[in-house]
Amino acid sequence: MKTVSLGANRPSAVKFRMPTRDNLVPIRVDVEVDGQRYRDAFTWNPSDPDSEIISFAKRTAKDLKLPANFVPQMLHSIQGQLAEFRSYEGEEMQIREKIVPLKIDLRINNTVIRDQFLWDIGNLDSDPEEFARTLCDDLNITDPEVGPAIAVSIREQLYEIASQSVSAMREARVSKKGRRAPEFASNSKAMHNSLDLFKYFGSKGSVVRKRKEWYLYEPVVDVARKEEVGAIDATEELSSRNA
Amino acid sequence: MSPPAAGAASSGEAPPRELYTIPASSGWFRWDEIHETERRALPEFFGGAGGSGFGTASRNPRIYREYRDYIISKYREDPSRRLTFTEVRKALVGDVTLLRKLFAFLDASGLINFSASPSRPAPQKKPDAEAILEAPVGLQVTPRPPASYFVEERGGGGGENGFRLPPLTSYSDVFGEWAPGRGPICGFCGEECSDGSVQTLKDGFKVCSNCYANDESTGEANKHLGDKKERADNHASSAWSDAETLVLLEGVLKHGDDWDLISQHVRTKNRSECIARLIQLPFGEHMLGTINGKSDSKLHKNQTTERKVDKYIVKESSSQPTETVDGMQIDENKNDTDKSNEERPTKHRRLFSSIDPTVSLMEKLVLLTTSSSPDVVAAAADAAIKALGNENPLARKAFHLSEKEYRTRAFSSICARQGDGIVGGQDAEMLGHSVPGNKKGKMFISTTYQVRAAVATALGVAAARAKMLANQEEREMELLMASIIETQVNSLAPFLLPPTGII
Repeated sequence: MKTVSLGANRPSAVKFRMPTRDNLVPIRVDVEVDGQRYRDAFTWNPSDPDSEIISFAKRTAKDLKLPANFVPQMLHSIQGQLAEFRSYEGEEMQIREKIVPLKIDLRINNTVIRDQFLWDIGNLDSDPEEFARTLCDDLNITDPEVGPAIAVSIREQLYEIASQSVSAMREARVSKKGRRAPEFASNSKAMHNSLDLFKYFGSKGSVVRKRKEWYLYEPVVDVARKEEVGAIDATEELSSRNA
Repeated sequence: MSPPAAGAASSGEAPPRELYTIPASSGWFRWDEIHETERRALPEFFGGAGGSGFGTASRNPRIYREYRDYIISKYREDPSRRLTFTEVRKALVGDVTLLRKLFAFLDASGLINFSASPSRPAPQKKPDAEAILEAPVGLQVTPRPPASYFVEERGGGGGENGFRLPPLTSYSDVFGEWAPGRGPICGFCGEECSDGSVQTLKDGFKVCSNCYANDESTGEANKHLGDKKERADNHASSAWSDAETLVLLEGVLKHGDDWDLISQHVRTKNRSECIARLIQLPFGEHMLGTINGKSDSKLHKNQTTERKVDKYIVKESSSQPTETVDGMQIDENKNDTDKSNEERPTKHRRLFSSIDPTVSLMEKLVLLTTSSSPDVVAAAADAAIKALGNENPLARKAFHLSEKEYRTRAFSSICARQGDGIVGGQDAEMLGHSVPGNKKGKMFISTTYQVRAAVATALGVAAARAKMLANQEEREMELLMASIIETQVNSLAPFLLPPTGII
């Protein structure tokens, strides 16, 4: 079979967006007022009007029976993250097929899940929600909060990579390096090691992993018992306060 | 997915080769080839949309075949077990989104999981719970009422359950900007209307006076809009509690059409809220009498869907005669007008009727009364009135019976009529319809007593009929007995009579 040179991987420039099918921004909120703490993570559609944010904040506070002084802080947090996203929006970013490992290490209620898998950040058709849904179905996870938490975590990682790519582009343009340099620069700067494609996809490699390596890319799910959950919560609280 | 066909995946020759059954629809599959179907379904591996090229380093036909073959072989290791994506992705290097797509393609085209247990068990449905498609017991199916009816019904249905949780604020997302505490929102222009300017359209949803003036017709097109607002309106300024609703009903009984008095009676709600609430109650419109021309057919439909409510109310009314007596007294004074109570009370617009089931009940009663002749019915009515009068002196007042009349009223006991022995025929039916009606019309004023008298009449009539039948039976029996005795005597006669001629 004809071997294909890896150089055929041409980057293309697109306007900054989440490299997923739906352009949704992951938002994480952690607000503490008078000893009460509200932590949440969800996805937001940046094309929604800003008036939605305030009504969302109010509605959430009311549904969760939080005092009204939570609302301004929630608002501030959400708006800040959205503003940051929007600051990238005008920029261009390089989209190229690049397979990076993503990690999941979450505790939702009493489910602990750890996983690692490969994600092509150049695949603009990717769908974290669908992946999360499949994962929960295959592992028979019944807690409905797990799926969305996984999806948000994936989005966060993708967002980080995408925004890094944009800032790298910006820097490269500012600095006086040569034309080819940005690619290498962004490559080396990438925190996530992109896959050594050649090893696997080259003519001598195989895309089927060795059995002994399977455990690395397999999800691990733990359902903690109630007492454990309480203990874990407490230790997390302490560490986050001290941090 | 077609059930597994008999087609063998590999030509069965030497025993070491295993036979797999695959669905007939996936017969195109070949291990050593890539079919056109595959190229079209997964163009990423084949160089873009056309699917004919060679792709990139990580996506090319060779890679595709590796993935595909691995997954299918993995499945075939144990065809009865459902292969999940999570299982295979740990063993494959590549973008999970792409792998997911590939997996889904294989699943959908019957190359994997074709003989596995169907769907995943979660969520577990209780095996005992069976969904039975049936109309609820006691509900009759009526011809489809006009669409406008449903608008109110939903609104009314919503208002029926007195206990209502305060709506989650997320609710307002679905139902629009309307929030509790604000005035009603016009169904047409969507703006909040100040209390005074609210007009209630025929359909029972609210429009501001501007829109009302502009648009006379009952905007059928705006019904959907009206629906939402209508439902939102159900949550009035403060939710109507059970107690408040009861007080409202009392007020309506007492004051009939006078909304100011009613709202005074219900201290916590103002005029328009009272009206709104009443409309929302299932029988509210009937009480208001605000819907013209619909009462006829509408109430028929009301009957069937409100049987439950009916029963409840009937029970209530019959168990609280003393309460209503007061109401009735006041009522009498106010409503001196002759309410000619025909058997079709539905056609008649009354100021109010506290009890909806008078409709359906009346019909039943009428049917009962037609089983006998009109005279019998009239007599039964007399007896009923008399009996009621005995029961409660106020009833006498209601029936406008003077003392003298009462005493001299022929104690037309049913027995006196037994001589008639006329079985009410179809001809008598029509007569029967009108006669009891007229009689009743003259005497009856208050609805409770109407109902009770009607019930008593029906019972009386039924009793009359039964008595007649019983008497008939008795007479027949007597006749038969007599004939038996006669026969016997005749046969014994030679032995009984003293022999003549023997001294």
